[in-house]
Amino acid sequence: MKKIIYLLITLSLLLAACGAPAQSPSEFDINDWVSVLAAAKGQTVNWYIWGGSDSINAYVDNFYGKALKERYDITLNRVPLADTVDAVNQVLSEKQAGTDPGSVDLIWINGENFFTLKQADMLYKDWAQKIPNAKLVDWENPAINLDFGNPVDNQESPWSSAQFQFIYDSARMSEDELPRSYADLKEWACANPGRFTYIAPGPGGFLGTRFAKGALYEVSGDAKQWLSFDQALWDQHSPALWDYFNELKPCLWREGETYPKDESELVNLFANNEVDFSMTNDITGAGRWIADGRMPETARAFVFDNYMIGDFNYVAIPLNAPNKAAALVLANLLLEPEFQAAQILPENGFGLGYAIDVTRVTDEAALSALETAASQLGDAATPASDLAKSLVGDSAAEYQGLLEQDWLTFVLQQ
Amino acid sequence: MRTILAYSLRFILYLILIAPILLFITYAFSTRWFFPQTFPVEWTASTVQRAIQDSRTFSSITQGLMISMLVSIFSLLLGFPAARVLGLRKFRGRQLIWLLFFLPTVVPPLAIGMGLNILFLRIGLAGTVTGVVLAHIIPTLPYTIFTLSSAFARYDENYEFQALALGASPLQSFLKVTLRMLLPSLVVAALFAFLISWSQYLLTLLIGGGQVITLPILLFAAASGGNPATIATLSLLFIAPPVLVIVATARQLNQHGAGIREQY
Amino acid sequence: MRDKFIYSPWISLAPALTIIMALLGASLFYAIAESFGYINAINQTNASFDAYRETLAFNSEFWVSLGFSLWISIASTLISSAIALVLAVWLSERRGNMDTLALNWNLAFPHLVWSVALLLFLSQSGLFARWAASLGFITTPDQFPVLVRDRFGIGVILSYVGKEVPFLTIILLSVLRSQAVGYDVVAENLGASRWQRLRYVTIPQVLPALLAGDLLVFGFIFSSYEVPALLGIGYPRALPVLALRFFLDPDLRARSEGMVISLIITLIVTLVAIISLRIGERRE
Repeated sequence: MKKIIYLLITLSLLLAACGAPAQSPSEFDINDWVSVLAAAKGQTVNWYIWGGSDSINAYVDNFYGKALKERYDITLNRVPLADTVDAVNQVLSEKQAGTDPGSVDLIWINGENFFTLKQADMLYKDWAQKIPNAKLVDWENPAINLDFGNPVDNQESPWSSAQFQFIYDSARMSEDELPRSYADLKEWACANPGRFTYIAPGPGGFLGTRFAKGALYEVSGDAKQWLSFDQALWDQHSPALWDYFNELKPCLWREGETYPKDESELVNLFANNEVDFSMTNDITGAGRWIADGRMPETARAFVFDNYMIGDFNYVAIPLNAPNKAAALVLANLLLEPEFQAAQILPENGFGLGYAIDVTRVTDEAALSALETAASQLGDAATPASDLAKSLVGDSAAEYQGLLEQDWLTFVLQQ
Repeated sequence: MRTILAYSLRFILYLILIAPILLFITYAFSTRWFFPQTFPVEWTASTVQRAIQDSRTFSSITQGLMISMLVSIFSLLLGFPAARVLGLRKFRGRQLIWLLFFLPTVVPPLAIGMGLNILFLRIGLAGTVTGVVLAHIIPTLPYTIFTLSSAFARYDENYEFQALALGASPLQSFLKVTLRMLLPSLVVAALFAFLISWSQYLLTLLIGGGQVITLPILLFAAASGGNPATIATLSLLFIAPPVLVIVATARQLNQHGAGIREQY
Repeated sequence: MRDKFIYSPWISLAPALTIIMALLGASLFYAIAESFGYINAINQTNASFDAYRETLAFNSEFWVSLGFSLWISIASTLISSAIALVLAVWLSERRGNMDTLALNWNLAFPHLVWSVALLLFLSQSGLFARWAASLGFITTPDQFPVLVRDRFGIGVILSYVGKEVPFLTIILLSVLRSQAVGYDVVAENLGASRWQRLRYVTIPQVLPALLAGDLLVFGFIFSSYEVPALLGIGYPRALPVLALRFFLDPDLRARSEGMVISLIITLIVTLVAIISLRIGERRE
């Protein structure tokens, strides 16, 4: 009898030792960064990001993946998406099924997708301005604290900046032949039929949507009026937009009966001399594509005189994220000056711009790294002054769906 | 003259068959190869390297291998007894059972996948490897059963009785007589099940829900407009197992020629 | 006897049968349920014929896609059969182990990879276009004909032909090689010419197998998704592509229409398969 009791006691002690970790390691206090780091140690962060670019994928794995492991003992699980809306849907269906913890820790997100999750109350709150590197971000700037017109509200943290540009091949065209407005573009396209096309606006084709929005701005004469949603405004101006596209259609590649579905496809068409222009969001212009062997070395980026949409993009943490501490550490790492400097260099494969305000960086070494990087963008990038001159903000989130849906109806299926 | 024609036609036929592989190898190691260059001028191994080292590619290969092997094993386990009975016995309802097993090869993976997606979501198997394995068994099981049952039809049970009569235990008889005699067909059935599972795209997409990624899914995503070198690399990786398998079992396949309907 | 019990038909069949029946049955059940509007994900439980009405409406894309799918299926099947017939007759006259190896090799090639290869070969800036340019036939890619991602499904048809010809050839070869050579020899002795032998002896021999194979091929092509999704364009779309597009729509109500289309595809393919089986049975 005694033996059995001793056995039971030993067993229960063993079970207690194996079953219960010292404290719940995922407990942390956002105001105490040390506790966040401790909680994050050993965790895996499931980062859902758009996976349509090999070079960006490699950049993320090599720069952030390695650093997370080496510095914080966090494993990065990069989950590639065809479109960010897939991650949004994932979180929403988890909400519906009541799954908590869910599967998504961090999403590369902005605009409409951010709006959807914020509205559904599925975002972790009150953290973006509390991470250590938040002090490097100019949170007073409406371009940062408003995302497609919606207040960020401390629920997402910036990663990088982007601006819409076109790309041409300097071996095929000279700079003075370039169109400098949408009206110019239509003229040029019809003078050179079959040599231009654009990405189909829609899921996975955000550059196409951006291209179309720029056209909308020019056709309606002003970009700022689109910052807040007004159905009447849309009804008033969208017919002119569809007229523009339908007049452009017969002059397009393949006479507009089919369009490249994403950036990569357009890049292939451009590089193979099927069309004369490509499009990009990169601050490095054509640099990333050239470094990757996807475009000839003579490719260059350029902008119109106006209506080139630029904005910041962010990362957000779902409310049911299983590894919030690790997600916070990663979000903070993204703003680290050394990585911000790395992300704009074309040879590293990412190519988007700064999210931090360089003037807020106090560390000498970091500052000089940032400034050096900014001067090394290379010939393939658009000059910074041109970018600044043509910069406009994106529109209210609601217009995105309208634009994509109506383009299908009024342009593609005509 | 006729022989020259015959030889040249043959040559063209074989060329058509080998061309894709040559194409992929050329593309995989090229960079900055644009129209109208006939052959690549710049070569690099970095795309291939990057593709293989990419964690996503690597995990999709291992996951795909694991899924296909599991599917193959389960198909054999489930199909073996069924095939034996279908091949050796005559019983009421045999025709009906034949038809029922034939059904999964007819119902398109599209319909199966869409309906199963809903079922698996409800029982929590959506997006899991288990769910994908179960889904893959549906198209592979009929082939396993048909292959094995035609082997059983040519099989003589008396060998087993002999072994038993000579004093072997049922287990020994099974291992040393039955399995031994059926080995070629077993191998073919197993390899075929592996192939069908390895090449599945729609079923994995619909059941895996973006969380179970196999090579065909990566390839499909890359194929429409991606980096040609990456597409080529993924293609080479994807066809490696099927090609090896078919070359190894070509002779046995001839015997099953009439019954095979390829799914990929 | 214990042996008899273990190998009683129903015990042996049970595992395989249960799995297939359960999974197939459940998937069909849910497909039908969703086609009538029972979408659990959005708690929609009122049954209606709405999805059917919308799909079969006069102006719905369903009819366009149906026509397109029928076109590529019939064209691919007919072209493949013709080529397979010629190949099989030619190859049956020689003992070719290399030939069967070559055909099997093609069988190993997944459809997806073959389509990808075609994309790289035949696109307007693909390999053939580049060779054409170096030979001086063209200067810009748009002078090369549109063979893939085109409005007529040429690329899709080419892809299927490339894969179905070996499949049908293998079927026909196995028939030809297993048939009694006797008929052919008798006909030759009676003075029939090569063409007459072909027309009156060989072709009738293979016709049932060819027909059965054709119907299988037709059914497969009609319900296949990967190839038209890769090599086709946005409009017109093949029926399976349309079905999946509805099923994956963020607006979950569109799933009903996707299910309707998928069920219609299944119905057509099943009918075709039954006819094919009947023909196959008659052969015995």
